[in-house]
Amino acid sequence: MEQGLTYSNAFTELQKLVRQIENEDIQLDTLAEKVHEANELIKHCESQLRSIEGDVRDQQNGAA
Amino acid sequence: MPVTQKLSEVVNEIEGTIRNRFSDRTFWIKAEIADVKKYADKRWCFLKFIEKSGAMVTAEIKGVFWSGTYNNITNFEKATQQTFNSGLEITCNVAVRFHKRYGLTLEVLEIDFAYAIGKLEMERKQTIERLINEQIVVQDAVTGQFYSFNNRLGLPTVIQRIALITAPDSDGQRDFQKVIRNNKYGYAFSVTEFLTQIQGDEAGKLISNKLKAIDPGKFDIVAIVRGGGSDTDFKAFNDFDLVKCVATFPIPVLTGIGHDRNTSITDLVARQNRTPTETATFIIDHNLNFDNEIEEFKERLSRAVDSCLDHAKKDLENYRQRIKNLSPATILKKGFAIVMMDGKIIIDPKKIPGNATISTLLKDEIIHSQVTKKTTDGTGFDIQ
Repeated sequence: MEQGLTYSNAFTELQKLVRQIENEDIQLDTLAEKVHEANELIKHCESQLRSIEGDVRDQQNGAA
Repeated sequence: MPVTQKLSEVVNEIEGTIRNRFSDRTFWIKAEIADVKKYADKRWCFLKFIEKSGAMVTAEIKGVFWSGTYNNITNFEKATQQTFNSGLEITCNVAVRFHKRYGLTLEVLEIDFAYAIGKLEMERKQTIERLINEQIVVQDAVTGQFYSFNNRLGLPTVIQRIALITAPDSDGQRDFQKVIRNNKYGYAFSVTEFLTQIQGDEAGKLISNKLKAIDPGKFDIVAIVRGGGSDTDFKAFNDFDLVKCVATFPIPVLTGIGHDRNTSITDLVARQNRTPTETATFIIDHNLNFDNEIEEFKERLSRAVDSCLDHAKKDLENYRQRIKNLSPATILKKGFAIVMMDGKIIIDPKKIPGNATISTLLKDEIIHSQVTKKTTDGTGFDIQ
């Protein structure tokens, strides 16, 4: 997964994939690949939400 | 050698003269106050009344509030939402007093709040008019809402990098940080503090300077918070330069400057929440919305995949049934026969000679027979 991917780009991409799968616009043999891609986007968003450089919770144990 | 008098005799005479002239009179005056020293524990306040012509002070006299009228100051601060401090112009009722040791003073009996409020409202109105004239804000003719470049900026999908403008070691700073740090969803935030004095005459300028020091590329939003439920002194937030700075700032500004009854002009051109806690909660809820949307897509994805596989399974079953329907076994069961000769299926009857030995495959048996006669009427068969 691309590191610098923004939330809105990730979300747009996720929406696109889910709609494709919902509309069954995709070949069965690429389904697994698309589902994997969608799951990676979800994981990316969820983990980014909970970790960021300079997180306030990290500073609690430090000097700040 | 001149004849001298005791100092007390002269002072007594002055005191007597002043008492005779002023003891039954009070005056309503409008003047600027300076050198304000409040002793809240004793409920005294010493100050100076001054009048200026340009920068020059043309009249000056000491003033005092004693404990009996000290509540005028607290009431004034509540009513006007500004600190009773040097630089204010007030309208008040005074009595002339002379003390043998401390000299001439105007004792304040009452402050006219209406004047102070009116003056503040006038200033506020003028600032808003100037903002509209300079096209920094637009007021919606129907709703009365104010729109600026800043409060029309969309919020980022997720807010994580926060520039926090607040007073050092203040309730506002603590409340905001506490809510952000202890959010129960485990969202990560990076908060960079830009600390400054946030009340008083200089505050508007100081806050503007902090805002200008923020690199908008490094943050998602700016939060300006001031806490502790302090009602007074948000005059700084009506400062034209500060409002202009906020209204035109390139990333969204969220305010939580802690007052219930009034809205500062800074609030109008930014996104307003009432308190630092509410501002922090707003940010967390914003991220929660996104988190919920992701969750929803997760469920939709799982349902869509199930439905995809389900359809594929049904399609497969459908084909299997069709193939089964077309198989020779099914055809034989329906009463058709297959004719074979020399181990091969014969489709064209012309290939069967008049005396050939053929095999006829029926549902359960094969019948071997000798051809005795071949006929045709040329019209083919019409089997219903």
